[in-house]
Amino acid sequence: MKPMELNTNKKPVWCPGCGNYAIWNALKGAIAELGLNPWEVVTVSGIGCSGKMVNYIKCYGFHSLHGRVIPVATGVKLANKNLTVIANGGDGDGYGMGLGHFIHAMRRNVDITYIVHNNRTYGLTTGQASPTTLKGVVTKSTPEGVIDEPVNPIVYALSAGATFIARGYSGESELLKELIKEGINHKGFALIDVLQPCVSFAKEFSYDFYDNRVYKLDDNYDFTSKENAYKIAYEEDRFALGIIYKDISKPSYEEQHSVLKDKALVEREVRVRDISNILSAYK
Amino acid sequence: MSMLKIKIAAPAGFGIMSMGPLLAKVLKRYGFYVMGYPEYPSLIRGGYNSYLLMISDEPVYSPYEKTDILLTYSKLSFDKEDLKSDTIVIADFEKLRVDKSNLNCKVYDIPFAKTVKEEGLPDIVQNIIGIAYLCKGMGIDISVLKEVLKGALSDKVLEVNYKAAECGYRLCTEHFVNVEWEKRDLNEHIIMTGNEVAATSAITAGVNFYSTYPMTPASTVLHFLAKYAKDYNIIVKHTEDEIAGITMAIGAAYAGARAMTGTSGGGFSLMVEGLGLAAITETPLVLFISQRPGPATGMPTWQEQADLRFVLHASQDEFVRAVFTPGDLKELFYAVFDAFNIAEKYQIPVFVLSDKYLSESIFMEDGFKTEGLKIDRGYIFEGDKSDPMNLFPRYKEYKDGIPKRAFPGTPGGIHKTPSNEHDEYGFVSDDAFIRKEQQERRFRKLENLVKEMPTPLLYGDETADITFVSWGSTKTVLFEAMKYEKNFNFIHFPSIYPIDWKSTKGLLETRKKLILIENNFTGQLGGIIAENTGVFIEDKFLKYDGRPFFVEEVLNILKRVS
Ligand SMILES: Cc1ncc(C[n+]2csc(CCOP(=O)(O)OP(=O)(O)O)c2C)c(N)n1
Ligand code: SF4
Repeated sequence: MKPMELNTNKKPVWCPGCGNYAIWNALKGAIAELGLNPWEVVTVSGIGCSGKMVNYIKCYGFHSLHGRVIPVATGVKLANKNLTVIANGGDGDGYGMGLGHFIHAMRRNVDITYIVHNNRTYGLTTGQASPTTLKGVVTKSTPEGVIDEPVNPIVYALSAGATFIARGYSGESELLKELIKEGINHKGFALIDVLQPCVSFAKEFSYDFYDNRVYKLDDNYDFTSKENAYKIAYEEDRFALGIIYKDISKPSYEEQHSVLKDKALVEREVRVRDISNILSAYK
Repeated sequence: MSMLKIKIAAPAGFGIMSMGPLLAKVLKRYGFYVMGYPEYPSLIRGGYNSYLLMISDEPVYSPYEKTDILLTYSKLSFDKEDLKSDTIVIADFEKLRVDKSNLNCKVYDIPFAKTVKEEGLPDIVQNIIGIAYLCKGMGIDISVLKEVLKGALSDKVLEVNYKAAECGYRLCTEHFVNVEWEKRDLNEHIIMTGNEVAATSAITAGVNFYSTYPMTPASTVLHFLAKYAKDYNIIVKHTEDEIAGITMAIGAAYAGARAMTGTSGGGFSLMVEGLGLAAITETPLVLFISQRPGPATGMPTWQEQADLRFVLHASQDEFVRAVFTPGDLKELFYAVFDAFNIAEKYQIPVFVLSDKYLSESIFMEDGFKTEGLKIDRGYIFEGDKSDPMNLFPRYKEYKDGIPKRAFPGTPGGIHKTPSNEHDEYGFVSDDAFIRKEQQERRFRKLENLVKEMPTPLLYGDETADITFVSWGSTKTVLFEAMKYEKNFNFIHFPSIYPIDWKSTKGLLETRKKLILIENNFTGQLGGIIAENTGVFIEDKFLKYDGRPFFVEEVLNILKRVS
């Protein structure tokens, strides 16, 4: 299958130059190169420009609520662990509204891949500050500049026990595709935080801003070290791209759940169950 | 009819909540009908817990105000309880430091504390000693008590409790209550709380996914399902909050699970957003809501029926949902079972509305007939392997407004499932024609759905002068009151939406005098009836003090109006 065949007949309505196109292409490329059957892939999204992604990829797609990508995706995966579940959302969606779900998802380590379109702004609602907008930036909702400290998703993920943490960039589509592939192949929760320029509302965080600040982690980088990962996560003036942290020693949630060990939940027939055993305890 | 009301009271942490059901089981095994109603504050230790047991040689449905025998381990009893001259009080007066000479009731002063000390027993088994004392006083053989203890306790603590039971029997030297009633063979009867029945019914119905966050009085459904999860292959997930609880269940149902969530009003407030998601995506979902008083945190462990309007109207916009309002264990059992079928058949959210009183009181039933029950998963697209990349019209009408579901993983079933309005394939759309078409299609489900919901029924003498109108658990108290007063009947609503209002109107209009009876301040059902039928019920008997109706209250009303 070629990535093109994963197109739906809907044309993306993102602004010309939006970083979401690169994520879209990378995701299609990843699904195609992994040879996944599209009808066995579910993309789940939140709400925002990022959330529109599900409409443009020909596989099952659940365009959920603002901030609720993670629990919906978790429900899908727990019901049918045979599916490839890919969650998509924005930084407002996932690090604002859905921050609680995000942290808990990593404690759980359900096998889903979570791609955050991190544009440091609220795109769809036309440019308010998001939880990752850096301090001092003037937006519609912060005319005197942001005072809050930004959310550092990599640090949050590390401290919440994530087993796969990567950073991608819309300006590095090939790398992004490889990271998504790695994330999908990882057995457990995979976070891919993507630096995604929003050309309409986050002018401070343009391609130029990132092009000068991103660098690729080299092959010698040891992503099994949490210490390394924290160092990278706290870098302020430059952004490492690649797999920042990976731990394959922890089993996924599904692997630990007694009900899911041998079969997917939906592989068990729904039938009227015999409750005489239960009732006899109440006689 | 013979009737005895026993109350056991103690500070929280003393085991009263398990003593009540334990004694109830002993009485059932002995051959009496029992109903039990617990009251407790939201405290782990201290405070005042009580368990009231109604015991009879006939089926007994609801609590009374007056207690005949009080077994207490709490000084507070002497302030809280209305002790009459014929009330029997069993207590360790020395331990409680209560001067019994001032009490105008029959007193049995039993040295519980001294006994456990002398026998080298742990303090806690004073509760069993008291229960045993009561059993002996009623002439029940110790073997019945021991048998129940054996079923309820682990082997590790059994000996200690047997010993405590023997102490209680030794301490009691007379049959101080006369229960020489006819005994029945009630061995096949079950004695359960509403929540235990709701969970058991969900298991019967094949539930395989339950995700929620604990909230009294719904939490015990979570505990029950978690306990049986492994045996029945159910995923039971205590999530980070109710928002995750409902949306995770929606994700699971979308992927093909038979999903349910459960909570009380406060948790449901958080779930409302998810409710809308279930509705617009037409994802089947069963919601078990157990009511308690108060907005926000309210009175966590008390009774009210004031969330009816809330579940009927929750969420923005309008959509089809179903609301069951069962009144007793049987109705609850079948409501939960049917809720799953209706949710999947019509692809809608379905509510089963309980309340603290129904959820946590114990009632007896002669079991639940499960022969003939059938699972209906509704219209499901089986797939097309020859064209796996086909886009599937998930939101196209298949029959009677209902589309076909295609679970992810189904070849040829690819579609989109958005929280936005959408076209037949699930692509987001704000086209005026599509919006109208989709909205009309979804509402077409009502026509058949209304025929499947249980209708309001008249109980009692057709020709009676007074007709109470009730929904949910108030049914039980009206049944109980009928034992004493025949000149009334009642119309009970086992479901409220969608129902056939035309026939309901007929049923209401042919009554002589209607009285609304509801556990809320505004008479919510009354409003709904007026809105749908034009029948305005002026006489209202409303209670909103956190307690269910007691039989005496209903009888007083009858006296007042007749
Ligand atoms: C409950 C709720 N609140 C608010 C909104 C409005 N809303 C839609 S998208 C959005 C923010 C999107 O920002 P982000 O997640 O960063 O995504 P982006 O559009 O930048 O991709 C908001 C606030 C909504 N849809 N739902
Ligand atoms: S507003 Fe920003 S994020 Fe949204 S489509 Fe336009 S460029 Fe992309």
